[in-house]
Amino acid sequence: MSDSAKLSHTAALILQTVDNGCSYGFDIMDETGLPSGTVYPALRRMEKEGWIASQWEAEKKALAEQRPARKYYRVTRVGAQVLEQSQRRYPLLGKLSQKSRR
Amino acid sequence: MPEEPKQPRLVSVSQALVRAAAPLVPRAHREDWQREWHAEIWHRWQFLFHTGEWNRREQWLLLRSAFGAFADAAWLLASQEAVRSRISEIARSPFTCLSMFAAILLSIAAASSGLHATREMLFSQMPSKMGHLTFIWLHEYIGGGDKGLPADVVPAWAQSSKLVSGVAGIEVRHRPVSFGGRALRENPLVVTASPTLFDLLGVKPAMGKFPAENGVVLDKRALMALTSSKTNVVGTEIRIEGKAYRIAAVLPGSFEFLSRQPTVYVMQRLSYEQKAFIVARVKPGISDERLNKEFSRIAAEVCSYYYLQGQMRFSTWRGALLTPLISFGIATLLASVIAWMAFRPSLKQIRLAFEPEHRRTAARRVLFFLSKTGLGLACVFVGCLEWSRSESSVLLASRDPGSGPFLLWLYVLGTMGVLFWAVADQRARCRVCLRLMAFPVRIGCPGCLLLDWSGTELFCSEGHGLLHVPLMAPSWDEEADRWISLDDSWKGLFAHEK
Repeated sequence: MSDSAKLSHTAALILQTVDNGCSYGFDIMDETGLPSGTVYPALRRMEKEGWIASQWEAEKKALAEQRPARKYYRVTRVGAQVLEQSQRRYPLLGKLSQKSRR
Repeated sequence: MPEEPKQPRLVSVSQALVRAAAPLVPRAHREDWQREWHAEIWHRWQFLFHTGEWNRREQWLLLRSAFGAFADAAWLLASQEAVRSRISEIARSPFTCLSMFAAILLSIAAASSGLHATREMLFSQMPSKMGHLTFIWLHEYIGGGDKGLPADVVPAWAQSSKLVSGVAGIEVRHRPVSFGGRALRENPLVVTASPTLFDLLGVKPAMGKFPAENGVVLDKRALMALTSSKTNVVGTEIRIEGKAYRIAAVLPGSFEFLSRQPTVYVMQRLSYEQKAFIVARVKPGISDERLNKEFSRIAAEVCSYYYLQGQMRFSTWRGALLTPLISFGIATLLASVIAWMAFRPSLKQIRLAFEPEHRRTAARRVLFFLSKTGLGLACVFVGCLEWSRSESSVLLASRDPGSGPFLLWLYVLGTMGVLFWAVADQRARCRVCLRLMAFPVRIGCPGCLLLDWSGTELFCSEGHGLLHVPLMAPSWDEEADRWISLDDSWKGLFAHEK
């Protein structure tokens, strides 16, 4: 797949982290150790490519808890295919996925 | 549940950073973007506060993360098609090309204390102070290298010559030096010189008095290297190759004679076994030929040294100082000849340029070519000079690596690089607006070389024309790169929003 060929190790790591269940920018930074200046532009690019989708959480729920609503990210079906290709290209990514799911 | 905390100042600063970065984000996404960043910062602070981890380290990490908002905003800005095409347009413009060279020149100036070596070479006041100074050395006919003369010719010339008003000999070597029981890590330059040297140069000491014999004079750099301070060291002991001397004087900070390295001068009479380079103050109007004749005669009569015609070499102070300029001239000439032979324009092209309808465009192209080549060559000239002379000798006849063959080679490579690049760059630009061509399209296949045309086609983004660049330029075709001008009827195809 040509899309996965464009995916750097850093971008693949971020995609894998989102797939592992880290849905927010700062959580991804914690998990990967990457700075915000890398994580956010990567998220924007992946969203533009259609590999991840973003969604605001319900405003009502956030208001009830007296906090601002957060935007969370999830991997799309296309993104999952790209991730699968990337795991073949970067075998350690697959291990990371198994480890976090265990 | 713990009490609701008051928002700390660092969180407010982080939020302010996000607000500062927000104008970079395209208007359509700005509100959404700001909301996301503010929410993330707020949640991070709350999480750390409630888990008891809100410490100084985490505070700074949060602030650092907030700076990432600028990178995020810049990415969103740059990912816009209009911005990307504008950046590409700017990058391809002739103005950017010239600005790039100007920026390189400024960077070289900033990295070399304002082009110190270049200024010194072109505008130094030293030659006028040290006017009529001539360097004399010996050049072997066989074997080629330069070397000093037996030092006993110095007093002979000083006493018998009618053409010079002063002569001094110098012998230059790196030697181990220790001061106050501490040896310098790197051996400084030690110049063993006749006691008359500083009188000849017309220099006054900043501290102490120049010695008549067996004393040491330090320049300011040597003083700093030895003592790391400006304390008065006159009268204290210094050891050069284990031998003790007294420091008699310190030279002024502005004094530079042979080198910009720390230099220690040992003033003593040079023996005939020492090979010395000679510095002489020549009376006005004396030619090198007359000087050579007289010096050869005195050397033969007084010291019984017989030198062949041309064996002794003479170089004036200014001549030696300007060696890099001469080297650069030779290198530029050589590179221009090679570049002309490689890319010589056809007579047809030259004739076309002189036609009235093309004259203005041709003049613009020539002006741009000359400007970028001039700026590029200026970068090579000052860059190589500053780099090669940052530590090396200011001058030392043709042995000086900063003004001898090393610099000449640097200049030859640099000027050839600039000229070849300038021609290649000029060919890749639109003949009308001088922007670099864009939208490359591969045409044909390499296998069709003999039967069909194969290569790349490039367009001017403004629609001025089309450039064909063949995959392989045939030797029989003088104009392998073909430029096809497009008239205004094609403009619609290239119309884009300004």
